Amino acid sequence: MSEAGSSCTPCIGVIANPVSARDIRRIVANAGNLQITDRVSMLLRVLGAAGSMGVKKVLMMPDSGGVSAMLLRSLQRELQLQHNFPQIEFLDMSPTTTVNDTFLAARMMRDAGVKAIIVLGGDGTHRAVVRECRDVPIAGMSTGTNNAFPDMREPTITGIAVGLYASGKLSPAQALVQNKLIEVSINEGERRDIALVDAVISTDRFIGARALWKMENLAAVYLTFADPQAIGLSAIGGLLQPVGRREPGGLAITLSDDPLLCRVQLLAPIAPGMVRTVGIAHWEAMPANQPFTVALGAGVVALDGEREMTFDSGDRVQLTLVEKAFPTVDVAACMQFAACNGLLRLSSQPT
Amino acid sequence: MAASNPFPLSKEALLTCYRTMRTIREFEDRLHVDFSRGDIPGFVHLYAGEEASAVGILTHLGDGDRIASTHRGHGHCIAKGVDVVEMMKEIYGKKGGCGNGKGGSMHIADLSKGMMGANGILGAGAPLICGAALAAKFRKKNEVGICFVGDGASNQGTFLESLNLAAVWNLPVIFVVENNGYAESTSRDYATAVNSYVDRASGFGIPGITVDGTDFLAVYEAAGEVIKRAREGGGPSLLECKMVRFHGHFEGDAQTYRAPGELEDVRINHDCLKIFSAHVLSAGVISSDELAAIDKSVLALIEDSVQQAKAAPLPTLADLTTDVYVNY
Amino acid sequence: MARKISMKQAVNEAIDQEMSRDPTVIMLGEDIVGGTGCDGEEDAWGGVLGVTKGLYAKHPNQLIDTPLSESAYVGAAVGAAACGMRPIAELMFIDFMGVCFDQIFNQAAKFRYMFGGKAETPVVIRAMVGAGFRAAAQHSQMLTPLFTHIPGLKVVCPSTPYDTKGLLIQSIRDNNPVIFCEHKNLYALEGEVPEGSYTIPLGEANVVREGKHCSIVTYGLMVHRAIEAASTLAKEGIEVEIVDLRTLSPLDMDTVLESVTKTGRLVCVDEASPRCNIGTDIAAQVAMHAFGALKAQIEQVAPPHAPVPFSPTLEDLYIPSAAQVADAVRRTLKGGKH
Repeated sequence: MSEAGSSCTPCIGVIANPVSARDIRRIVANAGNLQITDRVSMLLRVLGAAGSMGVKKVLMMPDSGGVSAMLLRSLQRELQLQHNFPQIEFLDMSPTTTVNDTFLAARMMRDAGVKAIIVLGGDGTHRAVVRECRDVPIAGMSTGTNNAFPDMREPTITGIAVGLYASGKLSPAQALVQNKLIEVSINEGERRDIALVDAVISTDRFIGARALWKMENLAAVYLTFADPQAIGLSAIGGLLQPVGRREPGGLAITLSDDPLLCRVQLLAPIAPGMVRTVGIAHWEAMPANQPFTVALGAGVVALDGEREMTFDSGDRVQLTLVEKAFPTVDVAACMQFAACNGLLRLSSQPT
Repeated sequence: MAASNPFPLSKEALLTCYRTMRTIREFEDRLHVDFSRGDIPGFVHLYAGEEASAVGILTHLGDGDRIASTHRGHGHCIAKGVDVVEMMKEIYGKKGGCGNGKGGSMHIADLSKGMMGANGILGAGAPLICGAALAAKFRKKNEVGICFVGDGASNQGTFLESLNLAAVWNLPVIFVVENNGYAESTSRDYATAVNSYVDRASGFGIPGITVDGTDFLAVYEAAGEVIKRAREGGGPSLLECKMVRFHGHFEGDAQTYRAPGELEDVRINHDCLKIFSAHVLSAGVISSDELAAIDKSVLALIEDSVQQAKAAPLPTLADLTTDVYVNY
Repeated sequence: MARKISMKQAVNEAIDQEMSRDPTVIMLGEDIVGGTGCDGEEDAWGGVLGVTKGLYAKHPNQLIDTPLSESAYVGAAVGAAACGMRPIAELMFIDFMGVCFDQIFNQAAKFRYMFGGKAETPVVIRAMVGAGFRAAAQHSQMLTPLFTHIPGLKVVCPSTPYDTKGLLIQSIRDNNPVIFCEHKNLYALEGEVPEGSYTIPLGEANVVREGKHCSIVTYGLMVHRAIEAASTLAKEGIEVEIVDLRTLSPLDMDTVLESVTKTGRLVCVDEASPRCNIGTDIAAQVAMHAFGALKAQIEQVAPPHAPVPFSPTLEDLYIPSAAQVADAVRRTLKGGKH
């Protein structure tokens, strides 16, 4: 164990957002509702696994949406049964059960020097964490609506991988991978934000219930990567011109319903169970470090599925793709390395 | 130069909604004052702080749509169009009140406006609204029923049975859980095994969504979708509004169960009227003068309703046994 | 001469005719159709004792099977009534009222009063009452007093097929919430019933038998015990008058007082548990309003203060018998002045 590691007694952070998968897309699409009981079960699995890798202490974000309360109740049971559970310490903050909790928790965990942050949530939650913790590697688990960014993976395995990294058995080179993001800047930095998967320009002009579901209002889509197997707005790119997570650059797409402007009519799974025709006027690669200026005069920028920043005719909105912008724990690589290098063998002899 | 309106309601509609929310706020805050002076008999439970929920949802309804409310029903009544003067008279126990003084604060109703009553029995409104929705299906007029419960009452058997009934009969019901975190003095974390009302609904196969109940626009958008779905035959849904209540469970409640500083914090940082004003003012759609004019006119309305209530006659012995039955 | 049908058929006919007349008359209840959602016969039961069998075929949109949720569906019936329909909710056994009583006594009963005369709640709650089926303590009660106690409710308990049909049709047409009690042991009783539709006013008792020596005031199954006792007593030269209350709330005290004033003697016979039952209510009212007319102490015939037993020998001892009624009448004659 390194000296630097021992100065941080909570080795990892966990942010489990109760408001993911709770928005209108359960009504206008057939989005699922991952119950609190299921989220807590995921937490217990990931925490137990991390504990078995030597993680002794975990910093958790408190919430008033049911996750923390149920976790505490479950831990009382678990601690009587298991031996390797890490100690859970809740951050000293008052939850509002909005995205602001996630911003604050990520900052507090970064300041506390956690080695990694495990995130349970959708694209929006992961975005909020990365925005504040930036250089602290995250390991994502999907509990959201579209889940283009985080992994759909057995939590136990994520726990093992993060535990191996946090306890120093894996180096950053072995465990981490770099990711792209889009930086959004309004009026040369007057307002800033980021997107991990998609930044979408909508003609909606207010934030309201946040989620983006009115397809007729979409003007443009900017993507860091476009996976043909993803659902959500990034599927528009994924089925047009796929771009991998590790490939350079992203994709910039202009949408239009006007038959004169529309070059391609694309069928895309833009929400769970919802396949719609999207009219595409233009698309091009989005190289790194090249600002794209938004043409629409007034509207809202939706980041990773949620309306976040309104803008008016006097505002200049620019989006720039950044490569190698933030690290995530590459769980598959961790497990492969661990297996091939005997990290989980209890014998002390090297292979 | 007036900015173009970015919101999904016209300027007139926004002003009306503001007026309704402000009417609820001033009505409740006035009752708070008058109650502490000893002017009001019995129990009152005030809705101040929760206005965005009632108005954001009920703005979508007509007189043919029905609602059932809780003990904390003044906000729902006002948002559903019940006459403010008649309400004040009823709370004062006077003739000419909604119930001619025979119901009181917890039983204010106006069936002609589709308001099936505030209710002293928590959770009782849920089966009643299932009945209203069943009647709506028979009438075939795409009308809906909305049942308001609090986070506490969502633990009542009637509520859970009603979720099931609405699901099996595909009723046009919207269950609104007004989650202000407290069931009287008990926190929802203690009282509710899994603190998610959306999860309860999904246990019955009913979709549910959570929305910030202090933001009128968020409530308005979300409510619009669930009501539209119900009208189109899509069946029941659950809308959880996370909100704050300014006053105690009942008037006279010292609220010692709330954290130090919490009451000040909610009034400053989570006041739905302030949040609404900030939206419309910063968008340049409505001016602060226009809002101030409404504030002034609402205060005059409330003052007038209190004066009328104080002046109205009390019921007499002759009224004691009338209206027990329609006919003997 | 009218044809004879059973009380069960009289219930069925009343509902059938009212549903034909008025499409807002709907019925909600558990297994009132039977077979809903199943692969077998539709209308498999028509009610647990077949009372509503055959109605679904004639009125498929007016009968709805419900989940096992009395609170929810009785409440839904109340809510629908407040919204302009005329629902009937079947509470399979009146013993189940515990799980839905709030919707009946705090909601339906009180809307009109609390809302200042501006609500009408024309709901009928039909329920099976009474002992004798060996159905044991939780399926055999006569809980009528719990409902008569509540202002705003009307309570009806007929004793014959003729009364059943007329009173049920009237109850459906009445604009107040009505609790309509059907004695499960009278379902098979046959009697003359006109084929057409007719009504009997609520709040009117029926003098089943005239007599000058003693008034028996009763209702439901006990009317027949009283008739049996009357036949025995007649052989001893005692002529009893039997007043069948028919409606328990509102009570027709005029008829009761007229009878007691005439005979000077009163025996109340009530199958409901003795504390605060209808009999004690009548006895108190007679003592208050016709004390001077009384020639003897008032007698009560009621079951013991105990749950309804299961074992047949015990249950038969529990339910008041004709012999007990006759003894009570004799006690009024022995104990009092002539």
